Amino acid sequence: MAQVIINRLKKTFPPPTKDGDPVVAIGDISLEVEGNVFVSIVGPSGCGKSTLLNILSGVETPTSGTVSVTEGGRAAHLGYVFQDARLLPWRTVMDNMLYVRDDGDAGETKATRYLDMVGLSHTHDMFPGQLSGGMQQRVGIARAFSVEPDLLLMDEPFSHLDAITARSLRDHLQELWSATRKTVLFVTHDVVEAVQLSDRIIVLAPGGRIFDDISIDLPHPRRATDPKVATLQAEILGRFEEMHPAPATA
Amino acid sequence: MTAAPVALPEAPAPQGGLRRWLSSPIGAQVTAAVVFIGAWQLLTVIAPRVPGPADVANFLFVEITGGSHGGIVRGQFFEHFAVTLQRFLLGLFFGFVSGLLVGILIGSSTLARALLNDTVLVLLTMPAFVWAFLTTMWFGITWQAPVLTVAFSAFPFVAINVAQGVRAIAPELRNMSTAFEVGRWKQFRHLTVPAVAGYIFAGLRFAIIIGWNGILLSEWFSGQAGVGFRTRYWFDANRYRGFVGWVIVFIVFIVLVDRVLLNRLQARAFRWRDQKEVDFIEIQEEQVGL
Amino acid sequence: MTDTVAESIQGDLGQANVLRTAAGARRRRYVLVVLGWLVFIGLWWLLALWVGSEARLPSPGRVFQEIVAILQEDFWAQFWASIVRVVAGFFAAVLIGTPVGLLMGRSKYWSNFLQSPVVVAGSIPGLTYAVMAFVVFGISFWGPVLAVGLIAMPYVAINVAEGVRGVDRRLVDMSTAYGRNERQVFRHVVIPSVLPFVFAGVRLSFSLAWKVGTLTEVFGSSKGIGFQIRRNYQLFNMPGVIAWVLLFVLFMLLIERFILVRLERRLFRWRQWERET
Repeated sequence: MAQVIINRLKKTFPPPTKDGDPVVAIGDISLEVEGNVFVSIVGPSGCGKSTLLNILSGVETPTSGTVSVTEGGRAAHLGYVFQDARLLPWRTVMDNMLYVRDDGDAGETKATRYLDMVGLSHTHDMFPGQLSGGMQQRVGIARAFSVEPDLLLMDEPFSHLDAITARSLRDHLQELWSATRKTVLFVTHDVVEAVQLSDRIIVLAPGGRIFDDISIDLPHPRRATDPKVATLQAEILGRFEEMHPAPATA
Repeated sequence: MTAAPVALPEAPAPQGGLRRWLSSPIGAQVTAAVVFIGAWQLLTVIAPRVPGPADVANFLFVEITGGSHGGIVRGQFFEHFAVTLQRFLLGLFFGFVSGLLVGILIGSSTLARALLNDTVLVLLTMPAFVWAFLTTMWFGITWQAPVLTVAFSAFPFVAINVAQGVRAIAPELRNMSTAFEVGRWKQFRHLTVPAVAGYIFAGLRFAIIIGWNGILLSEWFSGQAGVGFRTRYWFDANRYRGFVGWVIVFIVFIVLVDRVLLNRLQARAFRWRDQKEVDFIEIQEEQVGL
Repeated sequence: MTDTVAESIQGDLGQANVLRTAAGARRRRYVLVVLGWLVFIGLWWLLALWVGSEARLPSPGRVFQEIVAILQEDFWAQFWASIVRVVAGFFAAVLIGTPVGLLMGRSKYWSNFLQSPVVVAGSIPGLTYAVMAFVVFGISFWGPVLAVGLIAMPYVAINVAEGVRGVDRRLVDMSTAYGRNERQVFRHVVIPSVLPFVFAGVRLSFSLAWKVGTLTEVFGSSKGIGFQIRRNYQLFNMPGVIAWVLLFVLFMLLIERFILVRLERRLFRWRQWERET
């Protein structure tokens, strides 16, 4: 039940060539998220979605503006699921789970439980290289949930997977989320996916500005085939097209 | 010696031409050279037997331009160098050609690989000075000894590298070529040669470095002329400035050959491999966080 | 559940089949390798017959007698002397090369500063190091140690630098996001990524270092393999030279195959699956 407050955030990167202009990743974003909600951040490539998560997690620092991620007055615990699994290839699955915790043996029970929830308790002693891409990503998700974070950041976690694996992982994620009800910030460029998963969708436009803020009021878990979900998906896709981002080839 | 290493690039770059130049790549290399020569000079203060940089430079000047020094005839630099170079190239030629043939054989035939691989490995493990000893025992102090030392030490390095290259040709490309009915000669020219070229170059590079060491050893132990012989000559005469001077000569030679010649050749042969642009775009994407 | 059992049984059977054919292929390869050695020895024998002079090219049998004689005499004492020196030299190389490589990998300035010296040091002919070690230490234990250390150091340094540059930024970011401190990142991310490179550096320079170590023994030592080869050379004892050289070669190949390769496989067990993904 974390509280995220983003205030007039800007992030620019140094110019790619010597005489070029600096690259603007985030133009000017102010945003508040609170409570047990699943929030998606949607937008085309290059609108600063991943950068936003990196700033929230402390991997990058803002150029100007402030962010605060708190939980009842203290700094919130974070979990992060990346586009790629980002497991240490030289550690077993269990050692990877324990790497992000500080409580040794006590953590092992917890880690085992979350591994079990994604159906991978048998991979305990395997190395990441022995698992398929989808399985590795499931370990990544289990790792993020196992730290029992106040805020869970997810950066296009299914975009590298094939459609069938991605669909089954979406179901896994909904189950896990229904069981734990974390605050989630979920970055994706897939509107359909966003509608299926989230309570609120924030649409970013190129140049890193907020274009739209949509709330979705349907009960969880939602099935991709549910007609209500499908209708809403079509409607929001329509709104999305109004944004008319620069020509698709750019 | 005030040119101590200055700021790391991580520190905010101080304005001012000299400091900025010192932290540039060329500045860093020049600083390194200056520090090295300074340290060498310092060493001569601590250990007076070690000849200093000026001493050695002076020696080399006389050795190259000629003159008489304490009854020893000087100025035969180019004669010695020519002798060594001639033997070196001859030995390299034999070693390279035989290595190429055996390498292709081992790489393309499983039978040849099983039969010959260990023999090549044994040759690979032989120290060059052993060849210098053996060839001297076989041929005495003649021109054959250094030439064969170079050939024997270079051969296994070429063979192993070429064999690896032949075996590494991607089977997908082979299959693709067969599927499109590409002729044998065309396959050889457009698939085999470009794929193996890198390995051949690696082999040649090793061969040059190893062979150069071999000829110095051979001339050191049983030469009557040449770079190795001359180096030993000054060493035995207890003139360390001569010894160090010649050591610098053969180090400079090998570094120049390795860097200038082979880097150029390689750059020409591997234009297709130049992926700088692709990498750049990838890096940009990652930075912007797309 | 039944599915997985069936699958695992099938898997086992499949594996058994693979094993059987693999074992067959391996046996065939062994036969060929032995045949290769026989061909090698056979050719040598014919060549020796043709040369017809023991002082020029002794027959394999004659060299074998010599090897037996050496083995009965003081083989181990001589070998042990060489081993200790080479290992000590390697130790020095890793001790100095690792920090140099870390410096080069982490800072652009130091990378530029040290690049040329390290590359030049790596292409200096072994003869230089051997003579230098002799000049500095005379006939001593430390000569070969110095030469081995000098020749191996650039390889270790360059490889460590390469390894540090190759540390996966994404894993470091992941660690930051999960609040791992610098010590933990160093231990769990940096060291495991650099270690294979250090090992590669040691393996690359292993045979080179041995060669320079023995060469240094030729110049300034009263013990060791290099000294023995030189002694036999001076006595013009061809069977002795070849016997010692062969023992040296066999020893090197054995270390390479049975110790280094196995150690590498054990240390980097995780790597064998990495390639497939």
